[in-house]
Amino acid sequence: MRLTRLALANFRNYQLLECEPAPGFNLFVGANAQGKTNLLEAIAMLGTGKSFRTSREHEVIREGEVCATLSADAVVDAGEVALACTITAQGRGSRKVYGVNGHPVRYASYLGRVRVVTFTPDDLRLVSGPPQGRRALMNAALAQESPAYYGALASYGRILVQKNAYLRAGVPDTALNTIYNERLITCGTQLMLARNHFVAALAQRATTIYRRLVGAGGEELTLCYRPNVVGASPAQADIAGAFAVKLKAAAVSEALRRISLVGPHRDEIEFLLDGKVLSNIGSQGQRRSAVLAVKLAEYGVLRERGGEAPLLLLDDVLSELDAQRRDFFLAQLAEIEQVFVTSTAVPPSLIPARIFEVEQARIRQREL
Amino acid sequence: MIQQSREQALALADAIVAIKDRVRLCGRCFAVTESDPCATCSDPKRDQSLVCVVAEPRDIFTIERSGAYRGLYHVLGGVISPMDGVGPNQLRIKELLTRLSTEKLNEVIVATNPNAEGEATALYLSRLIAPSGVIVSRLAYGLPIGGDLDYADDLTLARAMEGRRTL
Repeated sequence: MRLTRLALANFRNYQLLECEPAPGFNLFVGANAQGKTNLLEAIAMLGTGKSFRTSREHEVIREGEVCATLSADAVVDAGEVALACTITAQGRGSRKVYGVNGHPVRYASYLGRVRVVTFTPDDLRLVSGPPQGRRALMNAALAQESPAYYGALASYGRILVQKNAYLRAGVPDTALNTIYNERLITCGTQLMLARNHFVAALAQRATTIYRRLVGAGGEELTLCYRPNVVGASPAQADIAGAFAVKLKAAAVSEALRRISLVGPHRDEIEFLLDGKVLSNIGSQGQRRSAVLAVKLAEYGVLRERGGEAPLLLLDDVLSELDAQRRDFFLAQLAEIEQVFVTSTAVPPSLIPARIFEVEQARIRQREL
Repeated sequence: MIQQSREQALALADAIVAIKDRVRLCGRCFAVTESDPCATCSDPKRDQSLVCVVAEPRDIFTIERSGAYRGLYHVLGGVISPMDGVGPNQLRIKELLTRLSTEKLNEVIVATNPNAEGEATALYLSRLIAPSGVIVSRLAYGLPIGGDLDYADDLTLARAMEGRRTL
């Protein structure tokens, strides 16, 4: 899939912008704080409906305005699709309205029309950072792929918030606790099943890519999904059963500590190098190589499962990588359909299809 | 208000006072009413063995508008939502259980919203009521009438598939 037109109105520092990206590498080049990343954020929001930079999404509305509008025309296998996303300030938050081909649609049927994989300098902490980042990787990929996953994730999150509030209140109610647990089991089991499959596919690719990156005789990278609940087998009924048993065993400590202790919100992905935990033993360089392998693997899995290539958004990440890793990364992106790259200069060994110069919220296409 | 006559202002003031004086909650079903028991509860033509449980009084008007329901109501006064400080004790659940033991009811229909809180509330009620032997049912989820499969979102479609029935 690829975008043929991108338009922003009152988004971040842009009053009005329209551009026509080309297939292949599109480079947004300019000094810092000119609005390069804002363009990637806009594309990501058009795809996923969510900002990768902030959870307070009213921040994307240009100062002094009440509403930001994003729209794009995309070419997908099934034909052409026109996407729109409007973010309107409402009270202290915001409200979003999605449109497909001019018709308003619900988020659940909007998500996944144009899939994106983002790679930002923050991702370089994927291995060494907190587990939320690794869960976010699974959620971002799976929610774009399957509305059922997104539905289960949203329900799970909501029930978890309610159960935690119930535990915090400290008024025991066995019936209510049981109902929350049953709902958590239903939604949570779905999440763990999907994550198990996803990480298996991701791990396989990441291992191969890492081997290619470090060459023969190098270390072996393995990714292991470590679900918080382990069933006797990876079948749905076994996971659900183990989930129930673990919740029951944790009931007293949950009541005591007043927080939910069991479920996929405590899942983890483990990175191993020759069987040893990477974040304990790895050098900075090894961690970066592992992240690179995982990001390439994520792109590969989404492309394979979705039947067509997702958009790849690279935010200033190429300049963070040394020459060898950068060249490797670009070389591995075979058969890319469309990539958006931000950088302060044209990165060496990158052949852009189109260069947009970004300066003070204006962009100009550079003649090649 | 400034532009309007004194009479109009007084009429509005009277109307507000009248709401305060005359409108109250039905002692049986907790619907908004001027007479206690309310018109629905005192209507002998309505099915006295059927109770539809709703979250808010306004939900009664919505269901009544459909004309499809001829039983009684029970207003909970919200849904279970600990994050908003609403637990089972803050709702009129005890009152519902009292009605179950004093009235001859055959079925309780729970008509809360199909979201996390509405669903938890419905399940909670069904657990509480089940031992009494009264049937507890839940509104069906599914496709809008006159709609098109093409335009149904995937979650709704999945729920409709789960809730399918034989023809």
